[in-house]
Amino acid sequence: MGRLFFRLILRPLLRDPVRAALTTLAIALGVAVVLAIEMAGDAAAGSFRSSVESLTGDADFEISAPGGVPGEVAASLLRLPEPLEVRPRMESFAEVPESGRVVPFLGVDMVASAPGSSPSGSLGLTSLEDGDAIWLGRAFHRRKGERISLLVDDRVVGFTVAGVLSEQRGEAAVVDLSTADRLLGRHGLLDRILVRVPRTRSLNAWEAFLRRAIPSGLTLEPQGARTRENRRMLEAFRWNLRVLSYIALVVGAFLIYNTISVSVVRRRAEIGIVRAVGAGRAAVLGAFLGEAAVFGLCGSLLGTALGRLMAQGAVRLVGATVQSLYVSSTPAPVMLSANVLVFGLAVGIAISIAAAWLPAWEAAHVAPVEAMARGRVDYQARVHWLRNLLWAGALGVAAYLACLMPPVAGKPFFGYLGALLLIGAMALAIPAMVTLLTARSGRWMARIAGPEAMLAGRGLLSSLRRTSVLTAALATAIAMVIAVGIMVGSFRQTVALWMENQLQADLYLRPALTAAADRHPTLSAAIPDRIAALPEVEAVDRFRAYPISYQGLPATFAGGDTTISSRFGKVQFLGAADRKAIYARMRQGDFAVVSEPFANKHHVRAGDALSLSLAGRTARFEVLGIYYDYSSERGFIVVDRQTMLRYLPDPAPSNVAVYLKPGVSLDRGRAAVERACAGRQVMVFSNRTLREDAIRIFDRTFAITYALEGVAIVVAVMGIAGALLALVIDRRRELGLLRFLGASGTQARRLILFEAGLLGLFANLAGLCLGVALSLILIYVINRQSFGWTIQFHWPAALLSGGLALIFAATLLAGLYPARIAMRLNPIEVIHEE
Amino acid sequence: MPVLTPYPGKRVAVLELDAVSKEYLTDSVRVQALRDVSLRVEPGEFVAIVGRSGCGKSTLLNLAGAMDFPTAGDVRIDGESTRLAGDGALTRLRRKKIGFVFQSFQLLASLSAVENVELPLLLAGVSGARRIAMDRLRWVEMDALHARLPHQMSGGEMQRVAIARALVHNPRLLLADEPTGNLDTATSTSILRLLQRIVECGDTSVLMATHSAEAAAAAGKIVRMRDGRTEP
Repeated sequence: MGRLFFRLILRPLLRDPVRAALTTLAIALGVAVVLAIEMAGDAAAGSFRSSVESLTGDADFEISAPGGVPGEVAASLLRLPEPLEVRPRMESFAEVPESGRVVPFLGVDMVASAPGSSPSGSLGLTSLEDGDAIWLGRAFHRRKGERISLLVDDRVVGFTVAGVLSEQRGEAAVVDLSTADRLLGRHGLLDRILVRVPRTRSLNAWEAFLRRAIPSGLTLEPQGARTRENRRMLEAFRWNLRVLSYIALVVGAFLIYNTISVSVVRRRAEIGIVRAVGAGRAAVLGAFLGEAAVFGLCGSLLGTALGRLMAQGAVRLVGATVQSLYVSSTPAPVMLSANVLVFGLAVGIAISIAAAWLPAWEAAHVAPVEAMARGRVDYQARVHWLRNLLWAGALGVAAYLACLMPPVAGKPFFGYLGALLLIGAMALAIPAMVTLLTARSGRWMARIAGPEAMLAGRGLLSSLRRTSVLTAALATAIAMVIAVGIMVGSFRQTVALWMENQLQADLYLRPALTAAADRHPTLSAAIPDRIAALPEVEAVDRFRAYPISYQGLPATFAGGDTTISSRFGKVQFLGAADRKAIYARMRQGDFAVVSEPFANKHHVRAGDALSLSLAGRTARFEVLGIYYDYSSERGFIVVDRQTMLRYLPDPAPSNVAVYLKPGVSLDRGRAAVERACAGRQVMVFSNRTLREDAIRIFDRTFAITYALEGVAIVVAVMGIAGALLALVIDRRRELGLLRFLGASGTQARRLILFEAGLLGLFANLAGLCLGVALSLILIYVINRQSFGWTIQFHWPAALLSGGLALIFAATLLAGLYPARIAMRLNPIEVIHEE
Repeated sequence: MPVLTPYPGKRVAVLELDAVSKEYLTDSVRVQALRDVSLRVEPGEFVAIVGRSGCGKSTLLNLAGAMDFPTAGDVRIDGESTRLAGDGALTRLRRKKIGFVFQSFQLLASLSAVENVELPLLLAGVSGARRIAMDRLRWVEMDALHARLPHQMSGGEMQRVAIARALVHNPRLLLADEPTGNLDTATSTSILRLLQRIVECGDTSVLMATHSAEAAAAAGKIVRMRDGRTEP
């Protein structure tokens, strides 16, 4: 059996190495992309622990509260008659000015952490100094006694290296608690207290004990809870990325289907002969599925190696997105684990066999006599295009219904199903499209572009199944480019319009230390006071943000000056709520507005109440409205600044918006503001610069999606090249005959190029229709259910037309080599073969 | 019944093979397909080349049809030598002066009868192709079936369409390679009658390769071949 498989299946593949290589490479690229995203996701997000989390050591519990935990709580825990290890911490970030890298900046109790004392192992401190001493991770490559400057909030501070954190290989800087308190202006408020309990009773019992021992407004969680929260938050992002990575594999599946179909067509007579001499249906089915499995195995092995390489690049892009939108983290090294390897092989082989099933099944069920019958050499699979069109309509309706369904466990499963059904509908509608476009167009095609165009059209029509599969493969890839292009373009435009409303101030200030979704460094409180007193300045809006946890998911609690917002702002609320009335009410007490992503994620509506634990006190805010916001996927709860200060009295703002007086030029105003910030590391942005920066970050965030689409297109174009090559080989008789009838070699070449062009045209047309439909699903179903953003539909016309033209050109290029082969065919030989 | 248009111009030999030899290299093995063959086909002449399989009939037809070059000797089609012609010149020569008929009809499966017939004219960029094609189909009595696809026709009907296609550009020479090889006796007879009519109605000459003595009998002149040589 093995010998027969080699002789009848493998040997012919070896005789057609270019096509076999193209099919293998198509599968390899599909598998590579899936594995690369899987590995990059694991490195950047899956195995995610935020930079700060990675320094928590072996604690069992952590006590925290937005705005800080009073220092006395740590002291009271230490006074308990239990041998608890209590480690109070202040957590922030600092920037290394020379490199621009942002590193965790921690304040810990050095007395407790000093060598010899119990928790020293957790950080591995090797020395202790006084004053502005600092302990650095090994990655700093600094020695004890050296000086180092770090940017802390809006100040550059000099430190003396007191020692190296022996167990911390990454970049982290640790100072004494009192130093951190002074530099960060925490007034004794801690960010977290880590607690390690003895194993004398169960963790649940200890949790209950600790809960009784701390004030009620504080959050007590098992250690690692934040990591789990972050993982949950990143799930939607990873899901969508994963789904996107499967596109190239789906395109590859179309090509495997085509390859096996061609294989069946070519070996039709052989199938009849082996059936006649005793082979059963199962043997024929097994042979063709075996061929697909060989492609799958070779492609997967190659894809695994390629995927490992691609993951290196992907982790940078994924990491940048995680940083921009979610949380500060440093990607872990990319790991090719045994699990990933097995997964890659399984996916590649399984999808190849699944894609080959239909043609293999047909081959097994063709009657031997029919298979051996001479006459119609080109086996034309029967394609019932009208019936398929009806099925396409049914799938389209099913896709629409799927899109009306709600998310399942926060994931848009029905949205994905709708997208898959639409792809299926498109694949089924393509035979009808090709038939209608080519059946009656032969004469005018001949008139406009010569007989080669007419012959190309007829050629494609005569092998309708093959044409349809190729068109569907390329159209799927094109559709995804269009869909994601429209979605991203619409999102970009929506964000740009939103920024026009949101950013009304002339100047914006923030500390030089880079902010992120989970870190909000602060400016000295005196700065906005100084700016407000400037004669050039009309008003100053102070905005303070705190990272918090709400219902087990990270969120942001913030306070802004609603008087200023009411006077200058143009923030838009859902349902066209009265902005000024909302702001006026917010000033009266515990009222809040929430951003759209927050409302969608937590199912919050106007009138609902939010219960938050702030600095040890429980606060209850009534939601007055939901506003459009695209700055963070975590979601915002915003209260009036005075309300916030009642709970969290730290007046230092995270950023400041400055409104200049009428008639004051931007340059003059900026110069005055910069003078007021003298001595502090403050970034001053004009309105325009801020928008440009935001759009740059936006583009960086979506770079990975463009990269994934690019691979899908490459796979599809490779498939077209391979298929055209097969087509030239299968139709060499026809090409040879044309030479007998007076066609020149150039005309034979033009015929193949026209076929490539027509395939590209059909695929562009089908891809455009499907892409627009998929973009609606992406914008109104998948995005809304995954991230909760409202995106206004926009046509990125230039991007779409440019992309389609590029793909069309690539399809033509894919036809060049097969066309060259067609031109060089020896007509006498190919006619003689008959 | 429509009549083929007589070919204008002076009456030179339609085909002249002058001491032609042809050698092939197949899998590193030299094969002498033709040895020193000379042949002359006059306008309006119906010549049959007779011989067993592998005697060189098809090679001779390929050289006569400007599809290949001789290794030695000269081939002149309507006075034009193919020896020094490039691919473009040979293509033009075929378009104007040669028509082919094959044993297995060689119709394009995706084209209807009339589309198959007009194809050589379209490839040559001749205007009014459809009208001429219909005219030729009428001549072979296939105009009623002009819209049929090849798989909707019988063998005899397909060969008639193939003959109409070979004649559509009014060639000087029609080359027929075993044109009755795939047909039953009655249909073969009607096809041979059609080939005879071609030479009777116009200036087109027919050179037919066959291994059938009955088919050869339809020709005005018979040339026998063995082992790549013509026999006296």
